[in-house]
Amino acid sequence: MNSIFDNRRWFFPLVLVLAAAWIVLTAFINPPPTQNRPAAARQGFPAPQISLTSFDSSSISLSDFQGQVVIVNFWASWCPPCRTEMPAMQAVYEEFGHYGVTILAVNASNQDDPLAARRFITERGLTFPILEDLTGATARTYQVSALPTTFFIDRKGIISKVIYGGPLAEALLRAEITRLVKEQP
Amino acid sequence: MLPILNLGPLAIQTPGLILLIGVWIGLTQAEKYARFLKIDSDHIYSLSLLTMVAGIFGARLSFAAQNPAAFQNNWTGLFSLTLQMMDTFGGGVIGLLAAFIYGQRKGLPFWKTLDVFTPGFAVLAIAFGFAQLSSGDAFGAPANLPWSIHLWGEWRHPSQIYFILSAGLIALLVWPRSGSRFNPSGVRFLVWIGSSALARIFLETFRGDSPILIESLRSSQITAWLILAGALVLLNRRLTHNNILPEAQTPQSNPE
Repeated sequence: MNSIFDNRRWFFPLVLVLAAAWIVLTAFINPPPTQNRPAAARQGFPAPQISLTSFDSSSISLSDFQGQVVIVNFWASWCPPCRTEMPAMQAVYEEFGHYGVTILAVNASNQDDPLAARRFITERGLTFPILEDLTGATARTYQVSALPTTFFIDRKGIISKVIYGGPLAEALLRAEITRLVKEQP
Repeated sequence: MLPILNLGPLAIQTPGLILLIGVWIGLTQAEKYARFLKIDSDHIYSLSLLTMVAGIFGARLSFAAQNPAAFQNNWTGLFSLTLQMMDTFGGGVIGLLAAFIYGQRKGLPFWKTLDVFTPGFAVLAIAFGFAQLSSGDAFGAPANLPWSIHLWGEWRHPSQIYFILSAGLIALLVWPRSGSRFNPSGVRFLVWIGSSALARIFLETFRGDSPILIESLRSSQITAWLILAGALVLLNRRLTHNNILPEAQTPQSNPE
């Protein structure tokens, strides 16, 4: 190391010049990948398709909400943080619904009691679409490894944020939704 | 990739857990090295704690300042345990400011204190790489190589593993041991930060999530180059001011 320090008069500038050359060369020879990414449950990637039946028996797809801000929330009625964050979800849905904000609450029906889930929906007066993931396929596609897990999807269908765990603070929900609503489609 | 570690009813965020372990090992190393450099290790412990607490509060306040509407009718949200309501940059600035003020008040020698923390920073950098590997952050560019990993729908460079390896090599370079000569004080820290910046410039090429500055220029590489330049200027100044002159001016060099 001392030999490097002794020769620093030419070594340090050489390092800087080589580093700058690498930056410029790689920008042209190996440019950063384009934004044409495959669908994946990851921030910055297009949201994977969701096509499920809701608790009121209507078929709902994520693509039905093209051009809107969508919050996809995976939940179960036995999960305490999921239950805690639902009133905040309902509050922001009522407040931001007319700005083109939708919440799709995907119930982990393959590991939940449908009666308990229905009772919870009625008790809390939830009015946003609540979907049944009977086989757990959608949760697997979204790589959900804990409940709740929440995905914020912008108007272009790109996932802008993923929150593992909960309960989500209402302030965070509002901050994210406000930011996404302001973005141009 | 393992963002969540399910232990019975507990769902633990793996990246956070890895970073916590990194902070713990890093702090232990810093305290150990402080004793060796004859700096009060209690001051080092207090400095670390203050920086972390100020950083956490600063990160939350900075987030709130950027999103005032979210807290308008809900000020209790300021105390929410949600980790995502943090502004890393704001927290970093406030944490460093608190550390600087504490160091000044306690009369801690600036460069020597940075040297004390260098092994800890080196450990933390490795932990940071493992945290990114567990969360799938800092993912690589698409590539079909024998060592590619399948992540986010494509075969990619294992950029997180590249980072862990480079952070490990840098840790070996700056780790305090007999025979390694980093004089005067501050040189060890500057070598660590300069080497890390140089590694970032090289490894950023293999990342798939690089933000672009202009045309195809990656902004992280530009930032890393500026940090490298700053580190080399300061390194030169530290060595020159301590009469360790370049070879051209010394009759005998003393290679390590």
